[in-house]
Amino acid sequence: MGRLIRAGWLLVLLLLGACRASDPDTLVFAIATAPASLHPLLATDAVSERINGLLYRPLVDFDVEARPVPGLVRWERIDDRHYRLQLVGGPAPFWDGRPPTLSDVAATLRTARDDPASPHAGTLRHIRRIEIHGSDLLLTLSRDDPRLPERLHLGVAPAERLAQGAALARDPMGSGPFRFVRWVDDGGVVLARRRDGLVVRFAVVKDPTMRALKLMHGEAHLLQNDLPFEIYPVLQRDPAISLRERPGTTFSYIGFNLQDPITGDHRVREAIAHAIDREAIVRHLFMGHARPAETLLAPGHWAAHPHLRPWGYDPARARALLGELGHGPQRPLPISYKTSTDPFRLRVAAVFQAQLRKVGIDLQIQSNEWGTFFGDIKAGRFQMYSLSWVGIRGPDIYRHIFHSASLPPGGANRGRYRSSEVDHLIDRADRLPRKQAKSLYYRIQEIIHQALVYVPLWHENNLLLTRRVEPVSPLPDGSYGFLRQVQWRTQWREMGNR
Amino acid sequence: MSRLPVTLLAAWLLIALAGQVLPLTPNEIDLEQLFAPPFSAARPLGGDELGRSLLDRLFTGAGISLLVAGVSVSVSATIGTALGLLAGYLGGAVDRVVSRLIEIFLAFPGLLLAIALAAFLGPGIGNVVLALSVMGWVGYARLARNQVLSLRHRDHVLAAVALGRGPVAIMRLHLLPLLLAPLLVEASYGVASAVIAEAGLSFLGLGVQPPQASWGSMIREGVRYLLVAPHLVLAPGIALSLVVLAANRLGDGLRDRLDSRLSRTYA
Repeated sequence: MGRLIRAGWLLVLLLLGACRASDPDTLVFAIATAPASLHPLLATDAVSERINGLLYRPLVDFDVEARPVPGLVRWERIDDRHYRLQLVGGPAPFWDGRPPTLSDVAATLRTARDDPASPHAGTLRHIRRIEIHGSDLLLTLSRDDPRLPERLHLGVAPAERLAQGAALARDPMGSGPFRFVRWVDDGGVVLARRRDGLVVRFAVVKDPTMRALKLMHGEAHLLQNDLPFEIYPVLQRDPAISLRERPGTTFSYIGFNLQDPITGDHRVREAIAHAIDREAIVRHLFMGHARPAETLLAPGHWAAHPHLRPWGYDPARARALLGELGHGPQRPLPISYKTSTDPFRLRVAAVFQAQLRKVGIDLQIQSNEWGTFFGDIKAGRFQMYSLSWVGIRGPDIYRHIFHSASLPPGGANRGRYRSSEVDHLIDRADRLPRKQAKSLYYRIQEIIHQALVYVPLWHENNLLLTRRVEPVSPLPDGSYGFLRQVQWRTQWREMGNR
Repeated sequence: MSRLPVTLLAAWLLIALAGQVLPLTPNEIDLEQLFAPPFSAARPLGGDELGRSLLDRLFTGAGISLLVAGVSVSVSATIGTALGLLAGYLGGAVDRVVSRLIEIFLAFPGLLLAIALAAFLGPGIGNVVLALSVMGWVGYARLARNQVLSLRHRDHVLAAVALGRGPVAIMRLHLLPLLLAPLLVEASYGVASAVIAEAGLSFLGLGVQPPQASWGSMIREGVRYLLVAPHLVLAPGIALSLVVLAANRLGDGLRDRLDSRLSRTYA
């Protein structure tokens, strides 16, 4: 017993030692995963992109209706193959005080186009020449592209820092509304708002319960998503905590390996689409904080098809389709399903497993930590998986994920989908202005939907919890842009850090 | 000796066996029963994060912990006792090798080594049993060796040697019966350790794999919803505590009853 008491005291002392007084002037934003790279052009994970959105000012930005508006540059379309870019007057300087130049813009474009690790390479490949003439930067394209500005949402970094390659990922330099201060031991990062010096620390807290507890105890002031939905009502009981919600653009789907003899069969994919009760999952697991989706682009987007016929929940039809293949509840069809170790994704996977078992599919869940899981997906080592597309702004994504020239590692056509008709439509749509391109994008969505390259699942809402901070609304794409305006509550400042 | 530990262990045994016989549905997901509170009609102990019956999962988990404890303690006890007997009775090189092995194994924290082994072998119930058996034999071997070292010079053993009995017969007929009492005490503590180790490994994701239920994995899954549904942790946590407490108390009781010196003291 004495040993037990001593061990208890030791544990208490260790826990006390682990406590650290938080800086009263630091706003703590608890996040689930650490940013992998602060390189504005090479980052591919959602957290990095969101933090980079604060550090780097983009060449071209978007308004609330996803229309391109000048960021660091304004553009002029000379003709379908030539554009002139000019710096917007008086742009904010880089943190070292040097103003961005056209050389920086040119270096940014070249890196985004030429770096083998750039996720933008596919959409900028047609920029043949990048030339500076006085105060103009001229772009010459190898094909018509009336919507080029939409593809220039690229964070700008100094040319000399871009030349250093990957070093920028750890030691960033931008001209955005926040400046980089330092990395934190937990993998997080500290930024300072340039306007008023507000310090924001992105603290990595992997466990969702711990994140919620930190918010409850005042050790964190902001949380966005990544919590079990059941916790939100508990947190809302605290009058110091505010919750704001907004429909999001994050699109979740089930992907298939179309080269696999089982998941390559349309009947199997159709059976899966009919066997999954999305409405029930949204109602119970998401507690209504999501909307069943039919297409990748969120409802209301100019290119989103508004009338795709849903693959409704129809287990009888699913059983009939599997019956044609000689399978059923008595002789289930084994299919492997890969997912991450995220507890909520595992919960969803378990529900898929139960729903598919009823129609005659034995879903074998393989859960791996993110690196292994994502590596397997990119390498095509899967039959079926589920992922989300985060921060989608426009139909450019179709080239990136459905064009047959976009097989990994050059693109994200992870299911190895090949359709000359879709390729042709994407190529044509990319060369047309929005009005004319719209009908082509509708057609692309119809074909993809019919072919069941993905089983569309849902668009997840964004939920933002704030404590002792003036309530702000999350943004539809889940980005951290609201941090530009966020303010401590006045009474909170007066009361001190409690 | 108090009857409570025996009663609790008997209840554990019964629940574990009932889990094999009753038509339980521990893995049946019911979205209507998500986080159902305890004492509801459909879910007497409540529903978990997938609406599965906590009661059914508790019964299944009891079976898993009994299986792991039973097999790993049996294997450990058999191997450890055999090695301890050989080392203690034969002495010489055999004793030196076994003693060094025991020292090496004792130099590492047992559970940490079991975690490493389970991680190396891969998750799964079979590998948990293997890892715990590999770690568990040491205690029995050390105990058996020490006992044999003191017993081998007893008159009845010397008489058996003088009568020409072989070493195997002496170990089996004249030494092993005298070891059983301390080994039984060790085994009851071993059951407690095995139950807690299985729960620990499953809690870390190295034991029983989803959707199969074990008490450790139930606690692991429940911890995430501690703020919302504490019963997900409390039910398996209390069951685990009671079994471990009962096994330890049984060990204490057996030790008190079987140790002749203690018996005399309290007589």
